[in-house]
Amino acid sequence: MNYVLTRTHFDDTATLREAWAKYPDFPRLIALKIDVQRRGVHYTDGALTLVDPALHQLRSANIFGTRDEKVRYLLPDSLLLRDGTSIVVDPAPLEWGPYVVDRVDDRLFLFDQGERLEEVELWHKPAFYDRSTSSGVPMNLIAQARPQRINIFQSSFCYFWAKDDGGCQFCDIVNFTKQQREVLSDRPERPRARDIAETVKEALKEKGRFTTFCLTGGSVLKGEELFDLEVSHYIETLQAIGENFTTKKFPSQLVASAFNEKQLRRLWEETGLTSYTSDLEVLNERLFEWICPGKAKHVGYREWRDRLIRAVDIFGRGNVNTGIVGGVELARPLGFQGEGEALEATLSEAEYLAERGVTTIHTVWVPRPGSQFRDQVAPSLDYYIRLASGLHRLRVKYGLSIDFDDYRRCGNHPDTDLARLL
Amino acid sequence: MSLAEFHALIAAPATLKILVTTDEDGTPRPAVSDFIAPGDGGTLLYFEPLESSKTQRNLTRAIWFDRPVSVVVVAADGRRFTARGRPQRAVIAGPRFQAHYAAFRADRGDVDLAAVWVIDVTGVEGLDLGADIATEERERPFFRHLDRIARA
Repeated sequence: MNYVLTRTHFDDTATLREAWAKYPDFPRLIALKIDVQRRGVHYTDGALTLVDPALHQLRSANIFGTRDEKVRYLLPDSLLLRDGTSIVVDPAPLEWGPYVVDRVDDRLFLFDQGERLEEVELWHKPAFYDRSTSSGVPMNLIAQARPQRINIFQSSFCYFWAKDDGGCQFCDIVNFTKQQREVLSDRPERPRARDIAETVKEALKEKGRFTTFCLTGGSVLKGEELFDLEVSHYIETLQAIGENFTTKKFPSQLVASAFNEKQLRRLWEETGLTSYTSDLEVLNERLFEWICPGKAKHVGYREWRDRLIRAVDIFGRGNVNTGIVGGVELARPLGFQGEGEALEATLSEAEYLAERGVTTIHTVWVPRPGSQFRDQVAPSLDYYIRLASGLHRLRVKYGLSIDFDDYRRCGNHPDTDLARLL
Repeated sequence: MSLAEFHALIAAPATLKILVTTDEDGTPRPAVSDFIAPGDGGTLLYFEPLESSKTQRNLTRAIWFDRPVSVVVVAADGRRFTARGRPQRAVIAGPRFQAHYAAFRADRGDVDLAAVWVIDVTGVEGLDLGADIATEERERPFFRHLDRIARA
């Protein structure tokens, strides 16, 4: 059962300008990014006249959905700020009070309540998006791009959703996949290794276009041991990617289930993978059991956490992290009742992990229409500034790098944007 | 000096260029660099090959917290200038970045390119010691030592 709140919450939180004044040591551009992610964007008709499908990357096959309940592929994918910061953001209904992207002369700017804030650029489309594999599959259905990264979504079905109460409450992966099927009927359920190898080969022809790979997908529980099949799928994919490199190892990130030591060793030894992420989603055992019932039932909070720590022995300090959906710890009715309490608990647990070589990164929670938490609200901008700062301070304190998941390799984590100063 | 003259000086291979940024605590960090070129309008371009360099971090800090940077320029004929400015943009992706990436590697060999920093130049000041001495002696006469004007 969902706890219904109104959507007027953005009115009663600190404005961006108030946050800028309150936190002079926090980069204004990153505060802006956070708030744009919280509130979403609306592209004016004028802005859309500058969108050229031949040049710009439009919304494409993705793993998670949008907040406007529609799959609209003629809108820009996301934005870049002038410091190189990505804003991974989706369109929001105007009544939610999103930031507005509008045209001024031949440039695009972010506006809030009529005030012009910052220039933004659109992401550019990689050349491989216009090619097909030898089997005839459009390459943009095999891999997707960020400004400097190739994404490969292994599977858009998460087996935690197989039982009605197993999927994570904030996640819309399966519902969004069903929604996308109506539009992207040619998209394979799981990209074949040959198509992946060919797509990567084509992508690498563009010099200076990419710095890393990110592989992810829904959890696959099947196998002799839990997740064995998921691991085998990733090994197949990574080996297909690896055909294109002269070195055994290549910059890459796997965002996947919490694998056991044997599975992690297979990934390390049999592929070119260089980093490993497994998302705890929320850093609290009680809330994990409520918010991530499938993960809790099949693995459990403490075992999930321990598997991350054991992964450090294999991938090395600074090459293992866990993602949290920043703010979901405040979900109603069972979440923390105040932002201070939530922050303290989250950073305390993040420090436990940091002491053991695992870094924590956060996303900005967007209550998506296809998720169980669709009627919830994300916390304040103030909260996110303190969360990002706190996670960054832990990396400084424990000497942990986050190179594989930073502003350029990923761009979706305000806390790792701050790592540009490390 | 006109903008065109300044850009010509920057582009000349024999010109020595030093980019000065500031560390977190405000300590100036000079970096002698061959990777500075004229940009569009009144800008300079700085090509940073290393994502992890201190200059890269300092430029990030400068664009985030509106800190100034400067470029010291020494021409082959001995003329000296300081250009002041602020980083306006970090180009790290897109066709413009890729074009610079290809050109940079064609010119420099197997090196990477982390960013092209666009520095908005707000002023250029000539560094001419002879002219400065004349100005001080004319306008600030109290600053000279007496023995310099004493009878022999």
